This record gives sequence, structure tokens and C-alpha cells, in this order.
Amino acid sequence: MEWLCIFGSRLRSIFRKRHLEGDLKAELHSHLEMLADEYVRRGMSPDQARNAARREFGGVEQTKEEVRDQRGLPFLETLFQDLRYALRVLRKSPGFTAVVVLTLALGIGANTAIFSLMNSVLLKSLPVRNPDELVVLRYADAQAEGANEDFSYPMYEALRDKSSVFDGVLTRSGVDFNVTYAGQSEFAYGELVSGNYYQALGVRPWLGRLLSPEDDRTLGAHPVAVLSYGYWHARFGGDPSIVGKEILLDGRPMTVIGVSPPGFFGTEMSRDPAIRVPMMMTLVFRPVPANRMQSARHRWLTILARRKPDIAAAQAQASTDVLYHQALDAQLNALGSSVKTHDRERILASHIQLDNGSQGFAHLRGEMQRPLVLMFSVTAMVLLVACANLANLLLARSAKRRKEVAVRLAIGAGPRRLIRQWLTESILLGLLGGAAGIFVAFWMKSGLIRFVPAEFSTNLKAPLDARVMGFLVIASVVTGLLFGLAPALQISRSSVTEAMRGETPSPASGERVFSLRNVLVFVQIALSLPLLIGAGLFLHSLRNLRGLDTGFVKENVFLANLNPSLNGYSTERIRSLYSDLLTRLRALPGVRAASFTSSSAISGSWDQEGVRVEGYQPRQDENMSPNAAIISPGYFSSLGIPIVAGRDFADQDTAAGPKVVIVNQTFAHYFFGDANPIGKRITTDDDPKAPLNMEIIGLVKDAKYVSLREKPRRHFYTVLAQEPRLFDMTLQVRTADDPRSIGDLVRAQVHDLDANLPLYATTTLEIQIDNSLIEERLLTWLSSLFGMLATLLASVGLSGVVAFSVARRTREIGIRMALGATRRSILRLAISQMVPAVCLGLAVGLAAAYVLNHFLGSVLFGVGSTDLATFAGAGILLASVAALAAYLPAQRATRVDPVVVLRYE
Amino acid sequence: MAPPRSEVLQGTLDLIVLKTLEALGPLHGYGIAQRILQVSEDRLKLNQGTLYPALLRLVQRGWISSKWGASENNRKAKYYSLTRAGRKQLLTETESWERMAALMARLLGGVEGA
Repeated sequence: MEWLCIFGSRLRSIFRKRHLEGDLKAELHSHLEMLADEYVRRGMSPDQARNAARREFGGVEQTKEEVRDQRGLPFLETLFQDLRYALRVLRKSPGFTAVVVLTLALGIGANTAIFSLMNSVLLKSLPVRNPDELVVLRYADAQAEGANEDFSYPMYEALRDKSSVFDGVLTRSGVDFNVTYAGQSEFAYGELVSGNYYQALGVRPWLGRLLSPEDDRTLGAHPVAVLSYGYWHARFGGDPSIVGKEILLDGRPMTVIGVSPPGFFGTEMSRDPAIRVPMMMTLVFRPVPANRMQSARHRWLTILARRKPDIAAAQAQASTDVLYHQALDAQLNALGSSVKTHDRERILASHIQLDNGSQGFAHLRGEMQRPLVLMFSVTAMVLLVACANLANLLLARSAKRRKEVAVRLAIGAGPRRLIRQWLTESILLGLLGGAAGIFVAFWMKSGLIRFVPAEFSTNLKAPLDARVMGFLVIASVVTGLLFGLAPALQISRSSVTEAMRGETPSPASGERVFSLRNVLVFVQIALSLPLLIGAGLFLHSLRNLRGLDTGFVKENVFLANLNPSLNGYSTERIRSLYSDLLTRLRALPGVRAASFTSSSAISGSWDQEGVRVEGYQPRQDENMSPNAAIISPGYFSSLGIPIVAGRDFADQDTAAGPKVVIVNQTFAHYFFGDANPIGKRITTDDDPKAPLNMEIIGLVKDAKYVSLREKPRRHFYTVLAQEPRLFDMTLQVRTADDPRSIGDLVRAQVHDLDANLPLYATTTLEIQIDNSLIEERLLTWLSSLFGMLATLLASVGLSGVVAFSVARRTREIGIRMALGATRRSILRLAISQMVPAVCLGLAVGLAAAYVLNHFLGSVLFGVGSTDLATFAGAGILLASVAALAAYLPAQRATRVDPVVVLRYE
Repeated sequence: MAPPRSEVLQGTLDLIVLKTLEALGPLHGYGIAQRILQVSEDRLKLNQGTLYPALLRLVQRGWISSKWGASENNRKAKYYSLTRAGRKQLLTETESWERMAALMARLLGGVEGA
């Protein structure tokens, strides 16, 4: 504590300098006077006495200086002094300052933007009380890869009620809602949550109250709902009177009891559920299976728990595992012999693991980690290029400031003091760049977020928080040190005499091939080339993906989802609704075709179904589950998938009629080889004795189904008229022109048929495909931008070095020209010294790219990570830019007029 | 011949100042200097100016405090006085100094005896 007191007193004295100076002067004066008085008393004359007093006292100014050093904080005062000086210097050369600050703003800003995304995706904790106490419950056995996190409701109850190591065990499950209020219907993503959800997380209501355990006691008896802050604003305009009112969820009245606070998005970073309802209402919204809440077989819940602060993690895990096994034993006993021994053993071999839950269920993390780390490497490399570039700029500038340095050396500044002054200047520049970088970071972050689909981006929009700002400051200071160090060290080596002469060192000494300047050029070239090559590869890969034959025509298809089953429609009613809607839509002007499908193309979701096929004997462990989709007639014409043989489904294929199925070419070839599949029979019935009840009536061309990168999949289609149960389906409408223009017409038709039925996830097929390429587009966009930026910086740097050396050697060039050197030889002279640096840079850059790009392998599509053409292309591009960058200033050298130069001499 | 004069040992000036203030009560810089010279019977070489950084150091540590007042012959002077913390510090420093001095005496005496 004592040092704090001393520091405080010293700090205070900095700000009371003038007062303390006067004080000191008066005190010393009084001392001297008293001393003089004494001498007068002993008989000296006043003048003699004063002189004697001064002798006796010692050096007054020296004492003052010592007191000053003792009084203030010499470190801080020197810093202020240096800063003032640096500011003055920078103000005097606004052009230089602007270039440096702009370069740094781009470099630091880009890094900050990516870091802020990394922060919210990879580092940030859930916005709840003490997130570090949260754990995610998972279980794994020795065989399975990774852990499973889905639990049954009875298991949840057992863990919640018997555990002594947790301060609350909560569970949740996602659910889709059709929300109706004031005659308007829309789709919303919601959550079923246990009654202790908000309590266990430690979230307080923004408005009204939140769910409590009392709201989650009896099955089906709690028609209450809590809105998220964002949804409350978006849907209800932030109207506080909504609390206590009823809204319709899937057509059922539910009372809104409160609003959760802004910033709270639940337990999953990539989701922001709009509405939360008690777990006990599950069967109202998800009626199938009816024994969902009792059955140990249905695992559909994720569990998060808050560990008691005084319980060690290992102890909590062991204790929970015991409970888990007790519950498993009880369940297996209840199921008795219906569970096979093999399964029983496998179930009992699994163990609970408690994972860090401070970030909730971090699913987005897994998806975003790779692109984020890649992007961060790219921006970090650009920043390094920028540093090398600025170091060069500063070197050139320091040559111009030799006089100033000479003066400072001459009046006694040591090398340490000089380095300090120069580093203060470059760190100041770094901080200025960082400050400007805040704007760049904002701009870039919003640009990046636009690549991410809306449902993922909610929680990425977080403002730049303290951690991000901390990163920005540290990055600025480190950058400043990095580019300032070389010039500072060089300047500190100057000798007074050499500097005072104001002479530039003789050309022979200054133009070594491995001069610092050339090394910096080498670094820039070597860093830029991998960036350019990466950009080329990403570009190539994206073009491959975009130009891929998808098997369908992606232009002019409008897509939207409908889920009448949520509103309690029977399958029969759904069928007639769909059929009515398709009839109405097909009659609209501008509609070429319309249909429904259970799995929309390249949406990332798919269904598989096990089949038995006529005349095909599967091996023991053969995968007999091709992709499957339920479609309406007209599906193939709305997507433009050609029918190779047989026919499309038609209205005559009804529930009463014979069951029919359409297969793709891969399916047909896999099961029937070259034989004609039309007329063959298959079944989806599990029972091995069941008849093959479906007849193949059509063969269609292969297409891409789940993602653009997939290999050909076996795929079959059934018709919705013959399906026993129907859930959400995607409407696809092929239009004559821009598919987006049809949206309102379609919505009006749906509203006309049932006002409580929302049409959601409206988009177009082209957008849907583009959304599947987020990672690729993002990486292409960023690497191109930064590859170009790095190249630009490197070439500006190169140009600067050549220009500088030409300027320094003006005299020499003049003499050479006077002696008859040709323009060509002068040009060669000016450029040649850069050749080794550039060539070495290119070589090292190629090698680095070759090594680094192995990390890109799985991101690329249709192009190898060491694609020769791309490597060559990027190398040639960079070499030509470098040649041009060197040529332009070198060319100026040939315009030197020997007469002028020599006359000056 | 005048007795040989000793330099003020590094670190002892603080202790001397504290002791002086304890013995005489509030005193200005001039008074402290005179008192030290007087007690040491001129055997201490004291550059009076060096007193001031030491006084400031003691103020910063909170061991003494300062206040402007009037001297005996009515000159404005800054008076220093011991604080409670300073009194405690004086006690511990005196003790440790005495221990050190005794130790040194024993060590040097031992060398002579050998």
C-alpha cells in the first residue's frame, strides 16, 4: 500500500507543478536567509553573509533538480514530453501521418472486426448470472465418436430431483410455432423450457414475470408464454400492454406473462427463440408421440445445469454419473426383455460427462471455428505486410531526419533516449491507426454479418465490447512497436559526427543487397503471395461450385414453408389445402409451375428412409436408407428436373390407388444395374415379411439434394396423396420473371384459405443455394480483398524503396550519365538491387503457400490446394506488379540531367 | 587538526532526520541541518541541499508532514513534524540500525582479535 501512497503523491505533484515550484523556491530561499542571518550575527556584512550561506548550502539549482526528480514521475513526464514532441512532428507532415494512419486503420480494423466475431462466437459467455458455473450434460460410450446430448424426460426428472451437486438443472427443446395475433399469422421459432429455466440461469424479467416452477407442474395445464425482447419489439412494437393478453400459438390461446431482458438469447449462440412456453405444454404443440413425457426411449431434450460453487467439477461429474446409472438401471428393468442384450450393454457402458456450459450449447462454434480462424490468419498477415511497409516508410523518413537526430545527439541525448522518443512516435501512430480502425472494424463487421443468414446473425451483432476494445489497443501498441523498432534501432546507431556532416553515406555503404529496406520488401512479397494464391484458390473453388450442374434449374423459383399440422390440421385437411392452394397458384399470371416438397433442395436438411428392393439382396451391414422426399405432382417441372423414363405423379395417384414411387438414376443403377427400373417394386415397410407394395413409375435425372459438394445420392420420391402423415412442407413456385415479386400474391392466396396459417422462410432457390455457400463466399470475398490490399501495400513499399534509393544516388547517376551511361543501364542500375529481394520473396511465398494451403484442402472444391495454374498465375501477377512498382520510380532516374546535378556539386 | 569528517551514509539521513524531529518537535529545514551539525560536532559532512530530497521522500511516505509557519526571527519557513507512522518507522529503524551496528562491531572486533 505504501507504494500506492507514494505514487499518488508523485502523480498529484505533476498536476500541481507550478505551485510546488514556488513552494520549493520559497523554502530554499528561507533556508539561505536564515543561514545568512547566522553569518551576519557572527559579524559578516550582508553580502559576505549571503555568499557564505550559498557556499555552505551547496548548489541551489542542483538541489531543486534533485527535489523535482524526487517529486514527480520522471517516466510519465518524459512520456508526456515525448508525446507532445511526437504530435508536433506528425502535425508537421500531415501527408505522411495520413498514409500511416489509413494503412493501420485498415489493418487493425480488419483484425478487430474478425476478432469481434471470434469473440462472440468462440469466446463469449452466455448473458446470464455466473456463466462459469454452467455445465452441459452429455453422455458418451467408448465406441461412439463424440458425445450425445439428447436426454429423455424421465432421465431429466431423475437428474433434476435427485442431484445434490447442482443449484438447478434445466432442460429445453426447440419448437416451431404458428403465431397469430390481431388477425396476423406468422411463423416463429420457440422453445419448450422447464419451469426452473430462468431461475437456474439467473435471468430477471424485463417486463411482467418469467416462467417459474409453478408454471410447469401439470401436463397441459399452463397456457402461458414469455416473449424474447427482440420478438416483443419486432412483432408487438414493444407495447407493454401485451403482458396479460392472449396470443394464439398454433391456434391455441396462450397468455403472455412477461418479456425476457434484451441481450438474452437463451442457451444456444446461433439461435434466438422468440417465445418460450412451459415444458408441460409439450404435447399441445408436439402431440406425437403421445408418450413423449413418459418414455425413456424418446430422447429429445438438452440439459444444462448450474454446478454449486463449492463442488469440484470431478465430484459433480462422478455424482451425476451415479444418478444417471441408477436411472438407466430402473428404466432398463422396466422395459424388461424387450431390450436386446447388446443394446443394454451399450447403454450401460455410457457415462455422463459435464462439459463447460459457459457458452451454452456451442453448436455454432463448431461450424464457424474454421472460417474464423482462417479469416483471422488472413487479416493478421495483411497487418504484418502493413507493418513491414510502414517500417520501410519510417526508415526512409528517418533518413530525412538525420539533422534533427544530429542535434539531439550533440546536446547529449543517449541512444536509449532516442529509441524511446522514436518508439513513442510509432506507438502513437499505432494508436491513432487503431482509433481510426474502430470505424473500419464497424464497417467490416456489418459487411461480414451480411454474409451470414439472419437466423444466425442475431447474436453476432453485439457491439464492440471491452474485450474487443482491449484487443484493439493491444494490437495498436504491438503494431506500433513492430514497425517502429527497426527504424528506431537504426537511428540510435547514428554517430554524431556523421550525422552532423549532413552527408548521406556513400552509395557503396548504403546499397547492400541485404539492407534492412530490402529485407522488408522481401517480407512483404513473401507474405502477399500466399494471400494472393489463397484468394485465387477460393475464387476458383467458388466458381466451380457456382457453375456446377445441380441437375435442376435454379433460376426463377420462389420458395416458402407452410406447416398446417401445427394448427391441428388432419392429414386429410392438409392434402385438400395443398391441392386447393396449388390449383389457385397455377392459375396466377406469371406462374409456370407450382408444387410441394418435404425437403427443399440445398437447404441442408434431408430425410432418409430404409427400403427393401425387388430382386436385391443387401449385405449384412449395407446402408439401405436412400434419401427420400415427399412431393406433390409438378415437382419435377417446377425444378426443371428431366423425367428420363416413365411418368410424373398425377392426380390419379390417390391414397386409395396403388402405391407409386419415382427414383433417380443413381438409385436405379445401384439396385437394378442397367435394367429398366420402371415397374419394379420396393417397400419402406420394416417388416421383412411385408409385401413390396410400391411400384416404380418414373425415373428422373440425378440432382444435388443436400449440398452442392455431395456425391450422387440414391434418392426416391413418394407422393403426398399417399402419405399417412404430413409435417411442414416447402412450396416451390416457378415463375416467368423475378420470383421475389410473386411473394405477396402467394401470401394473399394462403391468407385467403386460412388466415391463421403463416407462410414462412420465404426465399428463392438461388438465395438458398447462395446461403449454402456462406463459408466459401466469405473466404473468397475476404481473401480477394486482403490479397489485393497486401499486394497494393507491398508494391507501394517497393516503389518507395526504389524511389528513395534513386533520390539518394542522384549524384552518382548524374556522373554516370555524364560519362555516357545509357538510359537502359541507368534503369538497370536502379532496379537491379531490388531483384534479389523480390525473387527471394516470391520463392519463399510460393513455398509458404504450398505448406499453408494443406489446411485449405477440405474448404476447396474442384481445385487442388497446390493447383499449379493458380500458383503460377498469382506468382506472375505479383511479379508484374512488383516490376511495375519498381519501374515507375526508376524511370525517373533516367530523367536526371547531368548538367544540373554536376553544377550543384 | 580538525577531526576527520564522515560522509552521511546512504539511507541514514532519513533516520537522522526522523530522530531529530522526534527530539526537537516541529522544525524547518535550516533548523534540522543546524541540529545535525551541532550534534555531530562538525564531524559529519552534510551538504545542506541534500536534506530537501530526503525531506520530500519522507513526506511522500507519510512519515513526516509539513506546514508553513514563522521562524524565531519572523521569517516564513516550512515546518516539518513527525507523524504517527513516522514515529513507528523511527522505532523499527532504530532497532534494526542498532542490531546492525552491534553486528558490525562484533564482526570487526572479531577480525581484530584474530
